[in-house]
Amino acid sequence: MPDQEKEKEKDKDKDRDRDRDKEKSPSAIATELPVATAPPAAIKSASEVEEEASHYFFGEPLVGFDPAEITGTLVVIEGMDGSGRSTQITLLQEWLESEGFAVQTSGLRRSNLVGSDIDQLLAKNAVTRLTLALMYATDFFDQVEHRILPALRSGTVVLADRFIFTLIARGVVRGINRDYMTGLYAMALRPHLTFWLNVRPETAFGREFKKSQAISYWEAGRDMSLSHDLYWSFIRYQTMIKREFEVMAKRNSFIELDGEASVASVNKQLRQRIGEQLGIRATKYTPSSALAHLWR
Amino acid sequence: MENQEVLQKPRVEPSKSTLPQPGRPVPSRAYPGALIVVEGTDGSGKSTQLYLLKRWLEIGGYRLHFTEWNSSPLVKSATRRGKQRRLLTPTTFSLLHAADFADRCERQIMPLLQGDYLVLADRYIYTAFARDAARGCPPRWLRNLYRFAPVPDITFYFRTPLDIAVHRILSGRPKLKYYEAGMDLGMSYDRAESFRLFQARILEEYDKMVDTDNFVVLDGTIPVNKLQKQMRDIVASKIDLKRFAPRIQEAE
Repeated sequence: MPDQEKEKEKDKDKDRDRDRDKEKSPSAIATELPVATAPPAAIKSASEVEEEASHYFFGEPLVGFDPAEITGTLVVIEGMDGSGRSTQITLLQEWLESEGFAVQTSGLRRSNLVGSDIDQLLAKNAVTRLTLALMYATDFFDQVEHRILPALRSGTVVLADRFIFTLIARGVVRGINRDYMTGLYAMALRPHLTFWLNVRPETAFGREFKKSQAISYWEAGRDMSLSHDLYWSFIRYQTMIKREFEVMAKRNSFIELDGEASVASVNKQLRQRIGEQLGIRATKYTPSSALAHLWR
Repeated sequence: MENQEVLQKPRVEPSKSTLPQPGRPVPSRAYPGALIVVEGTDGSGKSTQLYLLKRWLEIGGYRLHFTEWNSSPLVKSATRRGKQRRLLTPTTFSLLHAADFADRCERQIMPLLQGDYLVLADRYIYTAFARDAARGCPPRWLRNLYRFAPVPDITFYFRTPLDIAVHRILSGRPKLKYYEAGMDLGMSYDRAESFRLFQARILEEYDKMVDTDNFVVLDGTIPVNKLQKQMRDIVASKIDLKRFAPRIQEAE
């Protein structure tokens, strides 16, 4: 390459580096704006707003949100496929309703906006990791704004079957930057209680297989080319997810429960903690005949 | 002669993927291609100018690809449903467009830049920064959302006074769509008035980015051919166009 061209390339590099530095520090961009012009009083109130917001959100407040309206309780149940989440949520809903609490549930891919679109993307598996992560984020926030927040405003108990933690873990194990994923969910509501039903991948494999006589493409992380063997792909993928959960458990004060214990014993622990939160004294419960089959 | 040899040498696939990690700023040496972007409010004349630039480069035989905002079939049905039923909030509106852009970025823009193409984009991430910030999304969150996007080599910003741009749109389009007019913000019941107020906010957001994002500001009110001349001169001076000329056939 002639020297002249080399020089030009160098210049271009410099330009790009400069641009990149700007891109790199989103916080710098945010701080540039208000400080110079706003009077001291405005700065104080802005930080107060932020403090109040951090009580309800992981980072940024959601557009158009008023914390004073929240009278309900958000309870999240996390855990891998086969950890018993949905069984526990079904039982908890019956228990809470028998105690006179209104219950709303939420879960992944249940939004009216994009729930069915994600199903289609998954079926075709012709989607890149970032697009999928952002579609899940759209699905999540649609449910927050149209299902979870309205319920919390009316004093309902929301039982969330999975939350941002699963979504963050799935993105991170696929090589998406961790800060990016947490930044994406900065406007997510902070749950009152987050339970983590922890099970070994080997146990989860057995339970999932029993349920549907098969292991799905995505549950086994087949898009990641971890192994040609379905079993090992599942174990490796779920182990990676579990490791991410261990990282998040400390930071987000998860209540970790042994998901391999009996349904009744896990349910009892859940009822105790939720009962404390809601001020329910007696947490005795036996499922109705309709749900008796879940009580193994 | 030396130059020709360089061009003829086949590129070797790097041992490590040069694809940036999603969510991290794209490294400056991640790709050999170049990215030219046009931005501006509706009716600023940017699409016309980009079309003319594209024709100029096409006629010259340069390797290029053109991409525009909101064109991925993947999320089209979701966007349509969301708009028809008015399900979209500022947050989900922003996320859905980000998903669309991510798809285009991962499947078109990045591979083409890696494949040594000149990529022309009608609207880029700055459209989202301006429009979504005008809807009230936190700027810091928006910046993070699009952190995976490669930084353009040139960003043309067509600055057109609000009245002229709004007039161009209102006289050509009999009915403004709900979200297009920013009706979801509840600023006015009159669509034309709402559109005007919305565009004013967007213009304000664009102006904030002129320095922080190295925009090349062009005056959208001067005659089309003169403006195009300016644009072509800037492209020729900032980008080494020779590199995108048709490859010279190796002599047998």
